[in-house]
Amino acid sequence: MTAPQQTRVRSLDDPEVFVERPATLYDAVPPYPPRTEREAEFYALQEGEMLINIGPHHPSTHGVLRLVTKIEDEIVVDLDPVLGYLHRGVEKICENSDWHMVISHCDPLEYIASMFSEMVPVYAAEKLLDLRVPRRAEYIRVLAMELTRILSHGLYIGWLALDVGAITPVLYGFIERDEIAEMLAALTGQRLLYNYMRIGGVNGDLNHEFMSRLGDWMGHAGKRLDDNMRLLNENEIFVKRTRGLGVLDRETAIRNCVTGPPLRATGVPYDVRRAHPYSVYPELDFEVPTRTEGDSYARYLLHLDEIKQSMRIIDQVLEQIPDGPIMAKLPRLLRPRPGRSFASIESPRGQYSVYAMSDGTDQPYRLRLHDPSFFNLEAVTQMVPGTLIADLMAILASLDPIMGGIDK
Amino acid sequence: MDRSLARRLTATLGERLDGPVTARHDTTEIRVKPAVVADVLTALHDAPDLRFEVLADLCGVDTGTDFQVVYHLWSEATPDWLRVICGPLPRDDPRVSSATFLWKGAEWAEREAYDMFGIIFEGNRDLRRIYMPPDYESFPLRKDFPLPDEASRSPGLGVREVEQMRQPIGAVAGAPARRDRSGLA
Repeated sequence: MTAPQQTRVRSLDDPEVFVERPATLYDAVPPYPPRTEREAEFYALQEGEMLINIGPHHPSTHGVLRLVTKIEDEIVVDLDPVLGYLHRGVEKICENSDWHMVISHCDPLEYIASMFSEMVPVYAAEKLLDLRVPRRAEYIRVLAMELTRILSHGLYIGWLALDVGAITPVLYGFIERDEIAEMLAALTGQRLLYNYMRIGGVNGDLNHEFMSRLGDWMGHAGKRLDDNMRLLNENEIFVKRTRGLGVLDRETAIRNCVTGPPLRATGVPYDVRRAHPYSVYPELDFEVPTRTEGDSYARYLLHLDEIKQSMRIIDQVLEQIPDGPIMAKLPRLLRPRPGRSFASIESPRGQYSVYAMSDGTDQPYRLRLHDPSFFNLEAVTQMVPGTLIADLMAILASLDPIMGGIDK
Repeated sequence: MDRSLARRLTATLGERLDGPVTARHDTTEIRVKPAVVADVLTALHDAPDLRFEVLADLCGVDTGTDFQVVYHLWSEATPDWLRVICGPLPRDDPRVSSATFLWKGAEWAEREAYDMFGIIFEGNRDLRRIYMPPDYESFPLRKDFPLPDEASRSPGLGVREVEQMRQPIGAVAGAPARRDRSGLA
């Protein structure tokens, strides 16, 4: 690193006056020579280009994300997302806690749909232990996960609409979300960070309050979904702000390791529930909806289709759920035999996977958490060049990143 | 477990494999040396009977003596996941070629492995820290990275200390805590 250069900044006393101050490492233009090829390319400004910093604290970045944006007039030329503002080193924490504690550490990663982020390490641990989970527990898990998926997708629709300038849908989204959150609170005791999955089963059986709330909700969920669809599907402003924007084609999506709705919106029917079945999904009848346009509007419509499929799954689960125990018999202290396992599930945002290594003690030797939003966010840099700054926000919202999971 | 996959892998990769093909649960595992990993990934991606086109995950691992880079791949030609373990990478100079020529998305995953383990991916155009601040110097997920205090190192230790503090006044110093939780440590 060379000696810091000077930067011109506005004076704190008089904003009309520019003063020189030593540049710091955290300035948008780094004071040191560029560290990488890409950084050199990004920070070399052409005539008429300028850098603008969006975030880290900005309502439309969906968490604490900083976007260093290179713009020419109002057109985005290039984008450099800066991560790490929510990094708490959860992989290191997990390496130093025992297998049961991992569940609650992983809970707040995907904080909109934490049922999924606590499910994956549990699957990984069960594979390491060669465990057979009671069928009733598997059905309850699927029920809880699909409810969480609907909750997450409902909020997604609201936020996407909010980021293109509509206030109303997010309120409807929260009505939906609140009913499901109350339902899951009756089941798990928590509204947001459930800590419900256990290695070998689930924490509690279905209870009367949950079932009655679920019944109420199922009575009107379909109609409310139709209402929300009527509100946005043919709304001229919404369609203009989303159709044809943030287009991702099939090859770019696969090359960028994009998964989940953004990938399926490009026409690839890749859903881990079907591509690599886990739990009781092989016994359930549902479709993997796809679209071919690959733009923000296609992603929005795909989320609506997925909500309908999740409702189908919930109907079937309630019909097929067997009686029986909800926990496998296990010792309190788990010491899986030395080995490696890879577990992967379809979260609302894509493929959520865990690579777990055990060395025979009660703590994981290595627990690699892989969040789909991480790769999906990376693909934004491919999608936005050439769009307006205002559309950058809409495209970002249409990918539904969750910074808790990305930053770990 | 897909038995024919092992046969196809051996036929395609031949002596580029380092050790036998193993399988457990729904994952088939191969090991390769760092020198040939780019070659092997290309072969897995392009071979008509393998077609591993989806990179599910890329991560670094510290085995205590050396490093590994672990790839998880998915293909429609097999029901199994494929795990490619690339190692050993020496501790003092871990270098491996980048997978970004096949999957551009691997760029950030490699940045993360660099940030956490200090593994250098040759050919990655953007190899800088991703989570830690730019002036940070250590690699936090290495096994020799110290943790700030005892309580965060092991849950059992913290619990034992709290229990010792809660001993009634006048209890014999050094007497075992009321509930023995030494198994947790």
